[in-house]
Amino acid sequence: MAAPMSSVAKPSAERSPFNTTSFQKKTRSKLISIPGTRPSVQNGQLLVSTGVTSLDYLLGGGLAVGTVLLIEEDRYDSYSRMILKYFLAEGVVCRHELFVAAAQDNPDDILQELPAPILDDVAIHKPVEQPRLSCEAQNSLDAMKIAWRYQNLPKVQSALASSSRFGHYYDVSKTMEPEIRQAAKCHRFYPTEHPTQSSPTHSTMPESYSALLKSLQEVIHREGFDVAAPMSKSRNILRIGLHSLGSALWGDDLCCHDNPRNGHALTTFLYGLRALLRSSLSVAVVTVPSHLIQDRALMGSVTRLCDNAIALESFKGSERETNPLYKDYHGLLHVRQVPHLNCLASKLPDHKDLAFKLKRKQFSIERMHLPPDLSETVSRVSRGELAGAVMVASGCGSGTSGNKHLDF
Amino acid sequence: MLPELLQGIDAGGFLIIQDSASYSGRHLLKSFINSALDREEAVHVLGFEVSEEELKDGLKGSPIQRLHFHNAYTDPLGWTDHPAFTVHQFCLEELTRLVKQTSHPKPATLVIDSLSWILRHLSPPDVCKTLQQFRKGGAVRAIIGLLHADMHQSGTVGSVCHLATSVITVVPVVKGDKAVAKITKRSKSGKVMQDEEIFSIKDDFTVIVQGKPSQHGPKQADPKEQETDPTANLTFNLRLSDTEREAKEKLALPFVFSKEKKTALLHSGPGSGRILYEPDANDDYDQEDPDDDLDV
Repeated sequence: MAAPMSSVAKPSAERSPFNTTSFQKKTRSKLISIPGTRPSVQNGQLLVSTGVTSLDYLLGGGLAVGTVLLIEEDRYDSYSRMILKYFLAEGVVCRHELFVAAAQDNPDDILQELPAPILDDVAIHKPVEQPRLSCEAQNSLDAMKIAWRYQNLPKVQSALASSSRFGHYYDVSKTMEPEIRQAAKCHRFYPTEHPTQSSPTHSTMPESYSALLKSLQEVIHREGFDVAAPMSKSRNILRIGLHSLGSALWGDDLCCHDNPRNGHALTTFLYGLRALLRSSLSVAVVTVPSHLIQDRALMGSVTRLCDNAIALESFKGSERETNPLYKDYHGLLHVRQVPHLNCLASKLPDHKDLAFKLKRKQFSIERMHLPPDLSETVSRVSRGELAGAVMVASGCGSGTSGNKHLDF
Repeated sequence: MLPELLQGIDAGGFLIIQDSASYSGRHLLKSFINSALDREEAVHVLGFEVSEEELKDGLKGSPIQRLHFHNAYTDPLGWTDHPAFTVHQFCLEELTRLVKQTSHPKPATLVIDSLSWILRHLSPPDVCKTLQQFRKGGAVRAIIGLLHADMHQSGTVGSVCHLATSVITVVPVVKGDKAVAKITKRSKSGKVMQDEEIFSIKDDFTVIVQGKPSQHGPKQADPKEQETDPTANLTFNLRLSDTEREAKEKLALPFVFSKEKKTALLHSGPGSGRILYEPDANDDYDQEDPDDDLDV
């Protein structure tokens, strides 16, 4: 019933513009237009793409400018690092400015590993997202023999995707050409290159965090990413990627002890980061090795301090790797927090069981669903027993209870 | 996977042998030293837990002149006037100096026996930082460290192992002098490989892999299930011959329509009507599921 209803509803919606009404189309002429951004359909926030189309969809269209996306790393940091690279690569393609901070590897190493964009396949992915057209259905009339009346119903989409394109696709097997990469302006922060001033002030933050905040602040002020900055020149977006924040290499003992000495260092830093981002045209992706952090309460407050939070759980090394249920996927994705921006209610993802897989040309997040069980051993025993028991109780089917062992 | 690791770790690699009180990983560590010496690499050992004699005992057969022992066993905390190496010297500059003072054309390997000692006396973030910078610095080809996992909080062990490119966890087997090595290896591209192997170590520190631990559970049950074929001894025929199949396919089943009729039913023409029904609150709706008896 659902499909015909919606197809009928469409023409009526199209007709409505012809009627003269007092309603005016809401225009957003005041919004600054920056390449690689678009306003949100829900609340008009300026959005940028994360570089992963299905993640954009999950986050309500994209990352709002001025917000932080927290990614809880998977155990071996392979997929979280991948998402960070997608985010940065998207910035390079959209000509945004980048700010990369990493303690484990040199930020230059991360930049060199960025995946190559697939720029000419815009049309390829589109037909898949469209519901089936009638001509297509006619060709495949033989596809369904028995339940053929269901043929024209749109296919259930398990991959998350929005109808309009936003963001690009990338080829993981290739790295981005140096010419494209160098066209984007990039700021780097590597803690060992910034010598700690070893000031004996009783700061709650390790020096590397405060140095990072200072460096960020300087870049934002110098390059004119402040919202308050004069609108004279064309504006741009600053994409901030912070890798493995909170790990021991940042000088933080959060991961090492059950009750860390400077347990508030990371939260203090995140408050500072948030304050910086809210007043500037920048957007940040922060990855945190949450599997090492022992204090769950602290992890909770870290999550609260970020606007979006997702957690990746890779199947690598867990018993789920061999589970047939998960054989099509590389891991599970948990949504920990969705942004509440200028509103009380936020758009919640319509589905909570999400899984991801990394293909060569796409990192896709899909709704998890069970495949139909086609094996012959699928049992109706439990139902049969149940029915038998009910029959006996009602006293009208004394003979049926014996039937349950009848088997070929 | 253990033999491949013994044959050499990738440049810039960092291997951790994780052991516990129930099984010591030092024998395996000595095997790694031995194989590195056999490859004519210079090996620098930071020895906190055993003396030089004890370590070199058993390594007699191998060219021992390339083994440089930095003695932190006799005076690890610098209580005497002339300590050879103290735990506080575990920093980037000191380590680089130590490795550089003996010039070898061959790549060097740093062996730390053990990381636990250092982690007890220095703060874990500092240790992690030193290890990472030293690894990236390029002064040595690889770092091999022994870590007693049961001595530290799980977070500390996790943080240190997070930096390692390979982690070997040794667990004893119930009987015999064999042990199980659980190996996790991370390649540069981010791919993770895991393996479990039973191994034993001979007196000359050669490692013999004796296969994988038996997979218990579903794998053993499988062949049994396959043996019993329920369609084997039937009193009636379940299979079709080709002619029978042909005859079966010729038969037109009821309610199977031709292509034209299907198309007509699916795509109603422009003149045809369509029933639209919106459920109403006053509808007399049958609560019972009419398909209740179907098993779908």
